[in-house]
Amino acid sequence: MEGLKEYFNIAVRNIRTRSLRSFLTILGIVIGVFLIISLLSLSEGLKSTINQQLQAMGGEMVMVMPGSDEDLLTSMMFGGAKLQKEDMEAIKKAEGVDKVLGFSYTGAIARFEKESKQIAIGGYDPWKEGLDILSIFQGWSLSDGRWPTKGNELLIGSQVAAEIFSKEVKAGSEMVIKGRKFKVAGVLNSLGSKQDDSMIYMDMSIYQDITGEKRGTAAYAMVKLEDGMNENAVAENIEEALKETRKRRSGTDEADFSVITSEKMGAIAGNILGVIQIVIFGFAGIAIIVGGIGITNSMFTSVRERTKEIGIMKAIGAKNSAILLIFLFEAGIVGLIGGIGGTLLGSMLAKGIELYGQVHPLFYFTASINIGLIVFGLVFSFIVGCVSGVLPARAAAKLKPVEALRRYE
Amino acid sequence: MAEPIIKLDNVWRTYKLGKTELHALRGLSLEIFPGDFVAIMGSSGSGKSTLLNIIGCLDSPTKGKVYLKGKDISAMSESQLSQFRGKILGFVFQEFNLLSNLTAIENVMLPMIFQGTPQEKRKERAKEILVSVDLEDRIFHEPGELSGGERQRVAIARAFANSPEVIIADEPTGNLDSITGKKIMEVLTDFHKKEGKTVIVVTHDAKIADYAEKIINIQDGKIIKDHSTAKEYLWKD
Repeated sequence: MEGLKEYFNIAVRNIRTRSLRSFLTILGIVIGVFLIISLLSLSEGLKSTINQQLQAMGGEMVMVMPGSDEDLLTSMMFGGAKLQKEDMEAIKKAEGVDKVLGFSYTGAIARFEKESKQIAIGGYDPWKEGLDILSIFQGWSLSDGRWPTKGNELLIGSQVAAEIFSKEVKAGSEMVIKGRKFKVAGVLNSLGSKQDDSMIYMDMSIYQDITGEKRGTAAYAMVKLEDGMNENAVAENIEEALKETRKRRSGTDEADFSVITSEKMGAIAGNILGVIQIVIFGFAGIAIIVGGIGITNSMFTSVRERTKEIGIMKAIGAKNSAILLIFLFEAGIVGLIGGIGGTLLGSMLAKGIELYGQVHPLFYFTASINIGLIVFGLVFSFIVGCVSGVLPARAAAKLKPVEALRRYE
Repeated sequence: MAEPIIKLDNVWRTYKLGKTELHALRGLSLEIFPGDFVAIMGSSGSGKSTLLNIIGCLDSPTKGKVYLKGKDISAMSESQLSQFRGKILGFVFQEFNLLSNLTAIENVMLPMIFQGTPQEKRKERAKEILVSVDLEDRIFHEPGELSGGERQRVAIARAFANSPEVIIADEPTGNLDSITGKKIMEVLTDFHKKEGKTVIVVTHDAKIADYAEKIINIQDGKIIKDHSTAKEYLWKD
């Protein structure tokens, strides 16, 4: 143990002596670990965001979206294709369907007391009945005001009321969206998802008036099932009904829509996240390999430079294992310092994104950093350092003292 | 008669330079006894450094046997040999060969670390030796902050660290002026006289060789003269 401590001290001293090279080598690892930590924390954040959305969606509803399962994420994030009027009709007629709620959304400038903000607005159809469904099945409730009764009345999410504008938006306030004056009828309690809490909800027909979207269409539909119906069976019925409308419209029954139950949604989200995480590990893996090669390179250079020093140490009694340990410690410490730097920077970025998300409610992306990830970053970088140092350390340990002493004479 | 502390028996050391074979040592045999002060002399290329490396167990012979305290070193593993070397032998090099990023005391403590000496004991011993070579004011200085003579004294202190039985010095005054060189030789002579330890010095300088009691002359890898002297300090100003 005594020896280990001393070899560790010698290794630290060697790193400090070659401070510039050590710094550059450490930088390589910092970048690798920074990528791993920041990307993993972002993907963890993404996971929790998606889980929140899924929970907000509830379990007794079926969602119908345009676009096939494969490009679901694209249609969810960027919109694009819409469900047409006949699609909505077909869904309503499918067996087991009680009510269908069409929903569209877009970004718009909203003005409240001389302050204008870019904000997400959403339209529901049917307006009044839809709100009933949402309050019963999605748990919508009001923290202020009342449910809207007229077309020019709005419901606003809790974030819109409290955070988006510098002044609190209360029930009864006036708001101008796309040049049209609205009255805020009620403020919703938090729906559990930042995205939903940051929206302004209005009657679909008004929404379509002010955005110019085609009447009868919807970005997606939420389907309430008849009592006692199985969600998978109803989903199949809806699929059949939609295929029929497709056949009539374009002569094919190729599905360019997705009928999603909460179970399926979870599976899709899981798949997407899986792919994202594989890609992240791939990128981060490449970064860490490059960093590791940097350590190996630096250590080999170090062995060459210090050949004589190794010879001296052997001459005065150092065993091969002592030389091996000194070099391994050096590589491990370089890795560990790089890991600390990378973890620190990665955590700062993650925390920054988290804070930015809190200040800017429209920025949905969040990050999640935990102790496990930090410990992983540190242990991993130390191991990468040691592994990268094995070859140079063995090369150093195997040097014959006489050759090592002679080499630079 | 005492057992030789170092014994070489028909030692050959051959280097291969491409297709050519260069015999640095040719069937050399010698015995060095505890308490000897031996000078190995020879011109450049005579094989004296090769002989020193073999005696110091830093290199192994191509043919023949080397015995250190009666043990055949060819039978030892590299690690055993390192340990044995660190315990029995102390090296003083012409170029001092101190580790530049360690202070004087740390350099002196290094051989003790490799022998597993506890920290407190190491410190105490290192200080004691540095004081004995008049370096008490330089204990915490790095080699770059020391003069040539001071560096060589640190190197000697390092060689003494594990109380070795043999000090092997390769041109120990080669990089020093004559006055400093003389002081260094006096330190080595003191060590030999007071502690009765074996000192082997490689040199091409007859004045340095005159400190020795026994001179081995080497030429073309063979001993050409091996005679005992009974000289005291011949190098006097």
